[in-house]
Amino acid sequence: MKQSGPEGFNGLELRELSRRVGAQTLVDELSFTVAPGEILALLGPSGCGKSSTLRLIAGLDPVSSGEIRLGGRNVTALPPAQRQVAMVFQSYALFPHLSVERNLSLGMELRGMARAEINRELEHVLALMQLQGLRQRKPAELSGGQRQRVALARALIRRPALFLLDEPMSNLDAQLRENLRAELRTLLRSTGVPVVYVTHDQHEAMGLADRIAVLREGRLQQLGTAESLYHDPANRFVARFLGSPTINLIERGSEQLGLRPELLELVEAGSPVPDGWSALEGQLIHREWLGDRVISHVRCPREGTLKVLSSTAAGGESLQVRWRQADALHFDAHNGERLPGSIGAQAS
Amino acid sequence: MARLLLLLWSLGPMLWQLYSSFRPSAALSGVDGGGWTLDHYRQLLQGDPPFLTYLFNSAVVGASATALTLVLAVPCAYALSRIGRRQARTLTLLVAAAVAFPAVLLFLALLEVARDWHLANQLLALSLPYAGLCLPLAILLLQAAFADIPIELEEAALIEGLTLWQRLRWILLPLMAPAVASSGLLVFLFSWNEYPIALTWLSRTDLLTLAPAMARIAGSSVYTIPFGAFAAATVLGSAPLILLMLLFQRQIISGLTQGAIKG
Amino acid sequence: MRWRLWLLMAPALALLLATFAAPLGHYLWLSTQAQSVLTALKPQPIGVEQWLRLFNDGRFWQDTWQTLRFSAASVSVEMLLGLAVALLLDQPLRGRALLRTISLLPWALPTTVMALGWRWIFNDPYGPINRLLSGLGLAAIPFLSAPSITWIAAVGADAWKTTPFVALLLLAGLQTIPADLYEAAALEGATPWQTLRRITLPLLTPYLLIALLFRLAQALGVFDLIQVLTGGGPAGSTESLALYAYLNAMRFLDFGYSATVMLGSFAILLLLCGMAALAWRWSLRWQGGLR
Repeated sequence: MKQSGPEGFNGLELRELSRRVGAQTLVDELSFTVAPGEILALLGPSGCGKSSTLRLIAGLDPVSSGEIRLGGRNVTALPPAQRQVAMVFQSYALFPHLSVERNLSLGMELRGMARAEINRELEHVLALMQLQGLRQRKPAELSGGQRQRVALARALIRRPALFLLDEPMSNLDAQLRENLRAELRTLLRSTGVPVVYVTHDQHEAMGLADRIAVLREGRLQQLGTAESLYHDPANRFVARFLGSPTINLIERGSEQLGLRPELLELVEAGSPVPDGWSALEGQLIHREWLGDRVISHVRCPREGTLKVLSSTAAGGESLQVRWRQADALHFDAHNGERLPGSIGAQAS
Repeated sequence: MARLLLLLWSLGPMLWQLYSSFRPSAALSGVDGGGWTLDHYRQLLQGDPPFLTYLFNSAVVGASATALTLVLAVPCAYALSRIGRRQARTLTLLVAAAVAFPAVLLFLALLEVARDWHLANQLLALSLPYAGLCLPLAILLLQAAFADIPIELEEAALIEGLTLWQRLRWILLPLMAPAVASSGLLVFLFSWNEYPIALTWLSRTDLLTLAPAMARIAGSSVYTIPFGAFAAATVLGSAPLILLMLLFQRQIISGLTQGAIKG
Repeated sequence: MRWRLWLLMAPALALLLATFAAPLGHYLWLSTQAQSVLTALKPQPIGVEQWLRLFNDGRFWQDTWQTLRFSAASVSVEMLLGLAVALLLDQPLRGRALLRTISLLPWALPTTVMALGWRWIFNDPYGPINRLLSGLGLAAIPFLSAPSITWIAAVGADAWKTTPFVALLLLAGLQTIPADLYEAAALEGATPWQTLRRITLPLLTPYLLIALLFRLAQALGVFDLIQVLTGGGPAGSTESLALYAYLNAMRFLDFGYSATVMLGSFAILLLLCGMAALAWRWSLRWQGGLR
């Protein structure tokens, strides 16, 4: 990542960005940077401020305090048209009364571009997104995936300085989503501009983005690669948000231990516990067989139900759940902050 | 069956007018004379001024009132739909109240306006009070239509760099065409129907719109029984509107229904 | 950005104020003036004299009574018939759309145009109704010349024109009632009357009240129909408040008093509509209580 001095940074930069509406703070002093060609995912539950942040960057909502800088210049006060951003909405927001072609070319036409140039750009993008056969159709005649491509094409054709996407996959069915993820990533990276991608789906974030910013109630919880967020979460919230099935949390005095389901082992009840390991006894109450993996729900008398991920089903009803002590993540039971000194498992 | 009753009830009086208009006055007065005649129509069409003049005048006023109303209502409705809940609601409530206001109560003030500003006997000037009276309904209808368009569409256009005028022209208004048509038609209908203001603003016979013209015909002959001519006038006066209704039934009905629901 | 939106609304709002608010304000001032032939048509302030005159004006109160009577009868008929027509049109029948349009035609025609037609229909003895009656050997009905009957004829003509409007409004309301409510009622064996009372009417109440408010306001201001159909006669028995105000201005050239009459009428209108609106509020609360 290139980073020159604050004035010269060539990507997107948010500095202490905030938006308050009445008594509510939607975005709380958010700061991060996105380098050209990098994809940053804004991840979090509904209402965490990710869409609000995106709208601030796009210029659709006014900023309460802080700065937005793009390509070295301060764009905070500029209207959307002058920021040179392109945005793909969750609903795609295609103009229903215009053909695919017109949807793409309208902006350029109204800006006064020469017809020849418009046509050139049109052909290029239509070919890129494989939309040539659909150019005369109206949005209502297209499938979900096709509409998404048109929305992307409309954004691409503007050659923007910044790409914003607001949950563009959420309207597609699960299978399509998985297939398109890789294609979308390649496409976005090839534009060479910063990309901010909003999603509530952790898999999408992990599969698509270079870095992930986890947001909660408008505040940045942690910013980093998927790996660092997963293995080294800054707090309980991040640990719980990433990982499927969710991390197990058990009480230990003033601390909480975070135990990833895949790091737990199931053995026969009463087995001897080796050095450096901890163990709990429990009853198997439920087992989910999912093809390539098995999730076992084990109820322990004091700690509640733990979920254990393994590749095969463990036998028996009475089981012992055990883990390497070094694998456990320690959190402050009160505020959920990650306690220093616990490393968690490293990527092998 | 009930449907038949409804049909008869709705069409009956008009059909009777149609029938009467073709019957010679003698037959109508019970003096036996049968037969059919076009005399009444001839009398009207060749009268002074010819009956069609009134229809023409009404059309002129209707068109100008419709244009003025739409030009004023569209930006206002747009602003209302974008301005945020609280303020919009009070304004909308006031506007809705204005819809039920009986227009006739305004005639005196408007009469003085016509006099002071020399607007009397000017057909195009009528479009001012008409637009004023039709604005509430038009604003309500158009505001609802604007609100129905997902705001993301406008935001996408905004990001594409379209100015307000461009957004209206290329995105919003095309999507609202049905609502605009409905509103326009309702204004046009109102203009044809309107009586007290036209009555007080227009005195020259050749400038009368349909409604006051009919009233004048009614009042002009108290002692004779020119009911054949009355009937013919009724038929001619109704024909354009019936045509309009039949052609645009969907738009007119949806306009009224929308007005009801949003009210 | 905000101020630009207000700018967009400004022309329309200006015209609205000029059309609705300004005249009322003007009337308020005018009602404290004497402006008539006696004052050579120049306004002379005389304070509340016009209002005292109004209060003591027998014709004004007579007209108030007549207008109220007309409105009450007209609106009742229209609401009942309108409901019936709406219920009829709500059924999925063949040709429903065309029927709907045809039933709306009376409303689309200018009042003055059809009023002329009604003069002929009600005519004694040559109008169709009376001719039918005499053919059946019955006495003719002097629709337009007997004070006790003429106002009823006016109500009939008014109902003919505006029932479709009410029907359309109520039809819109009927169509918002989800079909599964009716299906559930049918499963429980409810009779049509019960369905009407328990489901349809309560859910239709907001629309009924809107229609009522609208029609009441319009009926209280009735002018076109009366002026053309009866001219206020016979013997002033159908004269409405609006007509009286008009006569004061145009025939008697007493502008000050005309304004007073109109404000008086407007006050009565506000009072009645206010009561109807309160009834609406009350009914909504009652309906909420039913749940």
